[in-house]
Amino acid sequence: MMVIVLQVLLALFACARLVAGVAKYVRKERAQSLFKLVASVLIWGAIAVFALFPQWARALSQRAGFGENLNTLIFVGFVVVFAILFKLLAIIERLERSISEIVRKEALQLIVDARAAGTSGTRPPDIRLPD
Amino acid sequence: MDHDRVFVVMPAFNEAPAIEAAIQEVAASGYRRIIVVDDGSDDDTYERARAMGGVIALRHMLNRGKGAAVKTGIEAAKMLGAAAVVTIDADGQHNPAAIAGMLALIDQGYDVVLGSRLKNPKGMPFHKVAANLAGNGVTWMLYGLWVTDSQSGLRAYSKRAVDLIDARTDRYEYDTEVIREIKRHRLKFVEVPIDVRYTAYSMSKRHKMNLVNGVKILIKLLISGS
Repeated sequence: MMVIVLQVLLALFACARLVAGVAKYVRKERAQSLFKLVASVLIWGAIAVFALFPQWARALSQRAGFGENLNTLIFVGFVVVFAILFKLLAIIERLERSISEIVRKEALQLIVDARAAGTSGTRPPDIRLPD
Repeated sequence: MDHDRVFVVMPAFNEAPAIEAAIQEVAASGYRRIIVVDDGSDDDTYERARAMGGVIALRHMLNRGKGAAVKTGIEAAKMLGAAAVVTIDADGQHNPAAIAGMLALIDQGYDVVLGSRLKNPKGMPFHKVAANLAGNGVTWMLYGLWVTDSQSGLRAYSKRAVDLIDARTDRYEYDTEVIREIKRHRLKFVEVPIDVRYTAYSMSKRHKMNLVNGVKILIKLLISGS
């Protein structure tokens, strides 16, 4: 009886997280991307389903050729970790590009300033423009 | 080509011992429009470049990598009305005497002229030849275009090429991305053999290309969705 209560509670919690994730996406919150939505639906959906029907996990593992549930869990864990790692690297790369754009803009500002000052006769000392 | 509309871009990072000689050599070859982009050096590279007459010295407040510095230089050249852009390393390893021939090819209608060390590998250390071949192989696998020196820093671009090329990465992978852009925009390109002077100074630099950087480049090229 206790186990069933825990199963239902876990499934309810997973459903609540899933609904919250979908609601965030529907409200177009900036922090919620399509990638995050799909990840939440898959992860929390799987938790909800396997909490209520744990025997499905075993059947699925055997059908997929993993044998035991733990093997499946470890395999899926690796896949999820690599997906997250790849996503993080892509985010870092995007941030790096943004930083470079800011740095470039600041460096080129010298040319913008020098051209503006050139027309008024006073050039900033940091740059020498061609005649 | 009118030299007054040719801009020579020199990305520089901690090149204080060599920058003045490198600039003087380019200027002595007849090119007055020299843009030095100091990529957040710790030494006085920027001050030395700035002190040289006629040089347009720009500075990145943070080190962003060779590709980012080249991009800044090319953007500056575009703002100043460049008809052609030449990129050359700031450590003096490239001989600016090659620029005239490269620009002649641009005049003949080529969009990009790639200086190739492997077309003239005399004096090139074996490990550099091997690394270069590996880089060329990766470039070919990723983009389907075979070039003999995918990492060369001595290149000339027509105005059309600088307007079209949109490389996104910041570090040494930039050079490889340019090859992708050549293929993507079907730019007319040619490779020419170039002289490279491997001095004790240029070989001692720790941030130059090596195997670890090569692996990093591969990962970044894959992540960048190139």
